[in-house]
Amino acid sequence: MHTHMWKQIRDRETGKLHANHFSNRVKSNRISQLQLSNHKDIISPHKGAINSLQIDSTEGRYLLSAASDASVAVYDVQRPTVSEAAAAISKHTSILVVDKQHQHAHKYAVSTAIWYPIDTGLFVTGSYDHHVNVWDTNTTQVVVNFKMPGKVHRIAMSNLSTSHMLIATGTEDVQVRLCDIASGAFAHTLSGHRDGIMTVEWSNSSEWVLVTGGCDGAIRFWDIRRAGCFQVLDQSRTQLGRRPPILKRSMITKDSSTKLRAAQKKHANGSGSRQLPIGRVPSKGPMKQRLHPGMLSTQDRATAHYGAVTGLKDTEDGMYLLSAGSDSRLRLWDIESGCDTLVNFETVRLQINKPLQLATTQDSTLVFIPCMRSVKVFDMWSGNTYSILRGHYECVNSCWFNQQDQELYTGGNDRQILVWSPARSIADEMDEGPAEDQDNWSS
Amino acid sequence: MGAEEGAHGKGRKVVSLIEKATNSTAPEVDPRLLKAIKTVVRYSDSELRFATQTLMDIMKRDHSQVRYLALLIIDELFMRSKLFRTLVVDHLDQLLTLSVGFRRHLPLPAPPAVASVLRSRAIEFLEKWNVTFGVHYRQLRLGYDYLKNTLRLQFPNIQANVERIHQERRERERRSKEILLRKYESLKENSSSIKGGILTTMDEIDECLEILHAKQESVSDYILDNEEHGDFRSLELQQLRLEALKEGEKVYENSDNTVVFDTLRELYKLLVTKHFVSIKEWISVLVRVEVADNRFRDSILKEFIDIRNRLKSIKNKCEEAGCSLQNSSKHDEEDFWEEGNVVSMEILSSSPNSPNKHLGEASTSHEMNNDNLGLHNTSSSDTDSLLDKEHKTESNSQRSKLIAEAPAVRWSSYLDNWGSKRVFMANQRGLELESHWGRVDEDAVIPADKIAELNVHAMPYEEKEFEIQPCLAPLRKGGLCQRRDLKICPFHGPIIPRDDEGRPLNQSSSENMSMDLRTDLVEQLSKQAVKNVCERDQEVAKKREIDKRLLKRAKLAKIREHNEAVLRDAALASTSRSATLGEDEEVGNADKLFVRDNKQSLASMLRKKVTSKDRIAQKLLSSRARVTADRQQVSCEDFKYRDAFPNQW
Repeated sequence: MHTHMWKQIRDRETGKLHANHFSNRVKSNRISQLQLSNHKDIISPHKGAINSLQIDSTEGRYLLSAASDASVAVYDVQRPTVSEAAAAISKHTSILVVDKQHQHAHKYAVSTAIWYPIDTGLFVTGSYDHHVNVWDTNTTQVVVNFKMPGKVHRIAMSNLSTSHMLIATGTEDVQVRLCDIASGAFAHTLSGHRDGIMTVEWSNSSEWVLVTGGCDGAIRFWDIRRAGCFQVLDQSRTQLGRRPPILKRSMITKDSSTKLRAAQKKHANGSGSRQLPIGRVPSKGPMKQRLHPGMLSTQDRATAHYGAVTGLKDTEDGMYLLSAGSDSRLRLWDIESGCDTLVNFETVRLQINKPLQLATTQDSTLVFIPCMRSVKVFDMWSGNTYSILRGHYECVNSCWFNQQDQELYTGGNDRQILVWSPARSIADEMDEGPAEDQDNWSS
Repeated sequence: MGAEEGAHGKGRKVVSLIEKATNSTAPEVDPRLLKAIKTVVRYSDSELRFATQTLMDIMKRDHSQVRYLALLIIDELFMRSKLFRTLVVDHLDQLLTLSVGFRRHLPLPAPPAVASVLRSRAIEFLEKWNVTFGVHYRQLRLGYDYLKNTLRLQFPNIQANVERIHQERRERERRSKEILLRKYESLKENSSSIKGGILTTMDEIDECLEILHAKQESVSDYILDNEEHGDFRSLELQQLRLEALKEGEKVYENSDNTVVFDTLRELYKLLVTKHFVSIKEWISVLVRVEVADNRFRDSILKEFIDIRNRLKSIKNKCEEAGCSLQNSSKHDEEDFWEEGNVVSMEILSSSPNSPNKHLGEASTSHEMNNDNLGLHNTSSSDTDSLLDKEHKTESNSQRSKLIAEAPAVRWSSYLDNWGSKRVFMANQRGLELESHWGRVDEDAVIPADKIAELNVHAMPYEEKEFEIQPCLAPLRKGGLCQRRDLKICPFHGPIIPRDDEGRPLNQSSSENMSMDLRTDLVEQLSKQAVKNVCERDQEVAKKREIDKRLLKRAKLAKIREHNEAVLRDAALASTSRSATLGEDEEVGNADKLFVRDNKQSLASMLRKKVTSKDRIAQKLLSSRARVTADRQQVSCEDFKYRDAFPNQW
């Protein structure tokens, strides 16, 4: 393995290997060795189940956790607060805790806490006490407060957005509300779901597209610039495998774009409906309007899962969507066609009564799914189990993959936040603690 | 391929070993099997992997005993092998689930007694593992933390306990040091008064002794004068004389010096009970105390030691003068020689009072009466005995020889008319019978020989009185073993003559071989050793045979018991005979039975004990019983009805 590594470095030196490729290879190599970290402990002050975890997207350094005991905490995952030199275990205690002692704290469990995507000066929490609070990190004061009609299950902000500061909130209520931090009011109310909304997710390809999953088993796509949802995923519409890779595809379009379009049309007809490309030029506006599936009652009734949709995660390129349902199924959807790609994920059982937070690696090859007490790592495209991460003693609720350090953070009902990191290199281990772990057979 | 198969075969070996080790009802894993597992696993990683897999599988068995034994093996391997740790730690939650049983839907299986032991041991092991290897395995820390802080299980907290005990001990030491220091301070202040008190007592004693010795001089002179007349022909008598001289030097209490003796005794008592103890205490305080300035301590310690030595010497003097306070041992010794028929031992013969013993045996017939009377009351006063000795010095040696041969006779009334030829009047007893039975011959005489016949002394056979010797083996805490057994002390082996410090006098007894053996002894010893080994081997062989026989018998008994149980079950269940027949046939095969028996015992742990209540309930609540009861009731009612209305149909 190490000789392989050296070869790559030599290739990189000589310029045979592109910088991007090189880093990707190193990263994937590290990810493949993911295991429970012995040298990094996050000591959580929470007295309840951890419901959500997030690393900020600006520095990739601050971990925000929300727990059932109405507390929120922030940790620095880069610099340990206490480093035990002898034990070689770095301990990360929280640098900021908002719990019930705080005057503006939530009354009930905090279901989600997210960073403001632009910087770490703000974070947003949604709670079962029907409130969504926007906090100033530095003063730990509530700056904006939204009163929701029901328990807040999940909130989300778009990483791409340049033109809006909307918090999408999924609550017990059937309507999805978008809260505008700038104005402090609800900007949108999206109605279409027939039951509470378990999970919300912004698209990774368009800042205006929102995906929501409800307890009615439907996954709806919303374009926030217009009324109603424009797509409902239907588990009965399937396609085998993924689309051809983009490179080939662009070449083909260069060659014969019309032909492809015709083929696509044919394909769409064959599957009984026409899908809408996301974020395309709005030249096809009238046609979209005409074909809006939200208008069609048959389309509108479609479900993506039997039971509730508990987790959503779209790939980094925004082309695929992974959904988890209380029917213990994982489905990988092709967003453009709206079809289930029929990838068989070997899940055993998923937690059904809580929204799950899924995570993917940067190149979307691996996906981390909380499966009861363990976290399963699946190959995204084949559905094969890559590895099973066992460490929690009770159900795992959330995963977050730190793209920068290739570390996985998981939080569960056992109040622990576990760090899964690549195995440390031998050089690191050399200067470990004085007490080396070794065999001690009686002679 | 072949190698792989070989590995597989080896794996089978460790698997079968583990299976065998866990298939038992014992509370511990058979140490030999455990050792075998360890050795097999130690030299091969593949075996270890197999073992891990097997153990984890066995932990899933639905029997707490099996799980418990597997857990014990896991602990053994866990403490030793790194690879095993890394393998087990990955499945730690599973292991804990199966051993602690903290998940509600997965409780520990059946025998509840074993299950509770399993749980407590598992918790104990987890704590131990966490203390030892927690640094290296996050999983261990997690598991420990979860059980402790989330489930709030009670851990034995060995580490903390040890810490606490240390703390307590330190505290105690500190306190005792403080006390010592305080004592030391107080001693510093009133050392002179303590010394003064002791010194005055000692001076007084000295004075008393002086007075006594001054009085006694005249007496000793008298004795010396007497002695010059005597002729001492035998060595024995010379010894006697020396003894007497020594005795003569002693001062004896009489009416003249009673007062002096009383004060002396008083002072001696004070000395022994108070001063001696206090000085010892102070010395120990001085030895133990830690002070910055050692000068005062050293000087006072020296003084105290001097005082102690003086005290000792004075005490000895007092004791010589006859002030014995609590020396009961001396009394014992006196009893000892007076009884006189004890098997003599070297220790005794070397003791200073052996001449006295000879003296006691040589008691003259003259003194017989006297001696016999005074034999058992020990206090034939010393002055008397002194007189006796004077008589004896005059008696010639032949006589003494004869006396030595003469038999000792018990004293009784017949001695009143020993050797007398008197005749007794038969009918003159002071009672006038007045010829009640006819004519009375007043002058009837019982002849002397008749009297002698009547008076024949009956001597009951007396077993030689034998004092059982104390074992006298040195004890670990000091002192000698005072157990009195006939031949073998249960703690120190055969009773052999020993010297004052408890060392065996006869070195050849192989049990208590001391290290400083002489070369000429070695041969003898080696012979003895060979003999011992042979004997032991024989014994072992015999024992083994007996064991084997016992085992066989036990097995047979078990078979019989089993058969009976089966028959009883069959009778109770009243099943068809063929069902039980098959079982009986199985029983025939002894080898099979052994395995079956074992399994049964494992299974029998699971079976609930059937109480008599259960049996009664089973009988009463069975459907058949209920049906018959119903029918009986119905027919009973029918009868009643018929009786009430006899003419109705």
